[in-house]
Amino acid sequence: MNDEKNKMSRRSFLKAAGIAGFVAHTGGLVAAGRVSGKSSETYTGWESNNPATNFFNRKPFEFAGPAHKPVGEVRRPGHMTDYVFGRVATFERAYRAKPEWRLDDPLENLELPPPLVAFYNEFPERLEWDFRTFNETIPNNAEDRRKYGNYYFLAEAYESGFSAVAGYLPRPDAPPEVSDFQTAGFGGMKQPIGKPTTFKSKGLAAEFIKEMAHKYGATLVGITRTHSEWLYSEGWRGCPSDYDFSEMPKHWEYAIVIAVPMEWDVILSSPQFSTSMDAYNRVSIAALRLEGCLKFLGYPARAHTPNTDYDLIVPPHAVEAGLGEVARTGFCVTPELGGNARMAVVTTNIPMETDKPIDFGVARFCNKCKLCAESCPSGAISMADSPDGMVLRGYEHWYINNGACYNYWRENMGPMGCRLCVATCPYSRKDNWVHSMARVLDPRDPSGLTSSGLLLLQKNFFDYPEAVEYRRPPDGHFASFRPEPDYLKAEKYLDIKITKPKKGG
Amino acid sequence: MFFNSGLFWFFMGMITILVGVGFKAFANDRGWVLNWWKWLLSIIWYVIFSLSVLSFGTLSGENEGSAGVKILLLGLFISIVLGVGLGRLLGLKTEGDGTPEA
Repeated sequence: MNDEKNKMSRRSFLKAAGIAGFVAHTGGLVAAGRVSGKSSETYTGWESNNPATNFFNRKPFEFAGPAHKPVGEVRRPGHMTDYVFGRVATFERAYRAKPEWRLDDPLENLELPPPLVAFYNEFPERLEWDFRTFNETIPNNAEDRRKYGNYYFLAEAYESGFSAVAGYLPRPDAPPEVSDFQTAGFGGMKQPIGKPTTFKSKGLAAEFIKEMAHKYGATLVGITRTHSEWLYSEGWRGCPSDYDFSEMPKHWEYAIVIAVPMEWDVILSSPQFSTSMDAYNRVSIAALRLEGCLKFLGYPARAHTPNTDYDLIVPPHAVEAGLGEVARTGFCVTPELGGNARMAVVTTNIPMETDKPIDFGVARFCNKCKLCAESCPSGAISMADSPDGMVLRGYEHWYINNGACYNYWRENMGPMGCRLCVATCPYSRKDNWVHSMARVLDPRDPSGLTSSGLLLLQKNFFDYPEAVEYRRPPDGHFASFRPEPDYLKAEKYLDIKITKPKKGG
Repeated sequence: MFFNSGLFWFFMGMITILVGVGFKAFANDRGWVLNWWKWLLSIIWYVIFSLSVLSFGTLSGENEGSAGVKILLLGLFISIVLGVGLGRLLGLKTEGDGTPEA
């Protein structure tokens, strides 16, 4: 009987221990999960400058390429037309000279350069948006900034540190045949580059260059051949206006594409609190370092960066270099960073093995997701079910109405720009187990069930403010996708008058 | 940080064994005979439950608390439904089962 009692109490003890273990295990999982969600190690691209940030195994998803196949007459992009900043600056000059001009007046009255007139005739909606930006949006924004600007003061302070450094970075001041063959040297003393150093193989050259790129600060790096149709049709840095832009310089044979993310918590507080300047700065410096390294090895090189401008467009090169795929937003979505990738290119002629483009399911996912388009406060992103028929400069792929996009840049608060499509993209997530599981499973599921399931969770469980909430009062309240990080809360730190915008004004 | 250290996961492993031993004692009490597939189903159930809890923690850690709560509730609902079914399966007597320990 006693034995029986002992047996029973032993079993009761084991059961009690099991229950205690269950409770402890559950608590431990919550704590471990929280740490995993918060951990700085999950901020891909911010932990260290090493190749581990390029962690996605691209091999199974490579294809021979090219990823871009022309479907019509290919034309190069123009600084004054396709490039939104060049276009709006040209439009602004013409409009300021004729402030009485209105949309129903003849376009010729604005005295715009002929290429821009041709562009506006091809994309009339861009003219409407550019006009609205200067006629309505910018004056409204000046008023909003007087009222609410202080609420975003620290976000602008954060940005200004990066912008300030941008001004010190060197830009090419001579044509490619000259400047790309000169080292910067100490104190700006330019020296001709030396004799090219030979590598044992193209593969080893690529390996070394990629390692260097990471060491210089790149989170992702890929190599492709430079495509002449993606060079700007004019206005390369250091070139006089009568320079022959029709031929690609021979030493621009290869394009090394690098990418870094914007700070993860800041980007999630788009559009009002985020900035591109942090990543612009980091990727520009990394590319300039790489340029310096290549020149030291005796190879001509030119960095095309956000801080020192570009002579080519980056996204198609990034896609061909296997960094990612073109998304609904028109930019390149990568497996590691999603859309949170700011890119630069270094053109050079060091013989290197190139990378292949990849198909990891973005195109199929974008067709059904539409979260970026539904969230976009300017409606610049297409809601179509596929990019069929969307042809831009001879290639069929997603593109946005950059006039509408820029218009919202000038409407919102905080640092200029929006980046909401980056923040809302389900691929733009940190590197913890939840998102890694999606990264591993989804591209390997040909049925698309995984992506549909994940999208269902994304749309129903995660908060997505209505697009109108991001607009200015009274319609919206300058919402942000997620709350700003603590260190950008002006109300917490500053002893100044602060007015928080709210719906209705 | 303790909660992502090797030592923490070592303790978690020990606790998992304790949960398994407790479950075995509980099963014996109920007269369940745990063969390999019953163990397998029980482990799968526990993994589903644990993933729900871990998802909640991770999402709340990355400022997606509301999504975390919803996923936890969904996970708990699934765990309860599966748990009821599992309870019935575990109680099944199959051919070749021995007499449960007293």
